[in-house]
Amino acid sequence: MARSIGRKVVSRSSAQELGAVNHLLVDAEQRRIAAVVVGRGKKARLVRWADVSGFGQDAVMVVDDGALGPPADDRERAAADGKLELLGRRALSERGNELGQLDDVTFDADTGALEELLIGDRRVPAGSLLGSGSYAAVLSASAEAVTSADASA
Amino acid sequence: MRLLMTASQIRGLPVVTVDGGEDVAEVRDVIYSPESGRLVGMTLNKRGFLAGRRREVLSAEAIHAVGQHAVMVVDDSSIVAPEDAPDDVGRPATERNVIGDDVLTEGGLSLGTVTDLVLLVGSSGEVVGYQIDKPGDGQGYIPLPAQLSVSGDALVVPNLTGDFVEDDLVGLGAAVDEFRDRLGLS
Repeated sequence: MARSIGRKVVSRSSAQELGAVNHLLVDAEQRRIAAVVVGRGKKARLVRWADVSGFGQDAVMVVDDGALGPPADDRERAAADGKLELLGRRALSERGNELGQLDDVTFDADTGALEELLIGDRRVPAGSLLGSGSYAAVLSASAEAVTSADASA
Repeated sequence: MRLLMTASQIRGLPVVTVDGGEDVAEVRDVIYSPESGRLVGMTLNKRGFLAGRRREVLSAEAIHAVGQHAVMVVDDSSIVAPEDAPDDVGRPATERNVIGDDVLTEGGLSLGTVTDLVLLVGSSGEVVGYQIDKPGDGQGYIPLPAQLSVSGDALVVPNLTGDFVEDDLVGLGAAVDEFRDRLGLS
């Protein structure tokens, strides 16, 4: 996910460059990418994952110029303001213990399904993600076990 | 691993939703029932620089877990108006505050005065001990029996407690089970 920041967003139908990836909005409940956020603040636009036709190494292809739209609800507005950016967020277990900072997230470029969460040198399965918001990404208690196992190794 | 924390360590922790990852409040104080030896709830402050008191409270049943860095709740609906909370949370009896009380053994020995509560955190919320100010001897920690009779101005504890005055929370954590085992045998 970290490598996709700044990648250009191109319309498949017009071949126009529409902007650059600011960050990716995650749906924690579904554990998948919900949208690509292009630009920031008042000028931010979102592309829902369904309108992404190809998430490639060099460009994010979207179906057409109309795929980019203004935030439609409170969550998307918060995302446009950068409040929900997952990378760099504090990782907190459901037990209320901090595990570190969420450095990166891997996902399947075809389906948008999250795969692993990288917290320092620990790799936690994305299934541990319970919620994410402006304060923290909340992980299940099992993520604490991954952390301590790796820390003692 | 069992984690012990004092009430003052819990004060000021953010209250975070598991589902939303949002910090919805901050712990103002813990509400404790000396009779049951349990945390019954928490009073709250708003988050942020201009934080003031929040009228709403959090009852112990609504707490998902208490950890070193946060108090976890499932969602916003866990925080309720005092009139919608159980009576011991919404209208706690102020005279039950044990801070400042003398700790006397059944044999009449004073161990000190209570300065703080020690809670077993995680999902339990059991109050397992007190931090005390020992007369002329600084701070210490004593374990509590599972049940405690609370009288007027003093807390009367078993004589055995005098053998289990610990210097720190780690020592107390190790002492609680042995203390309770020996109480059960005697």
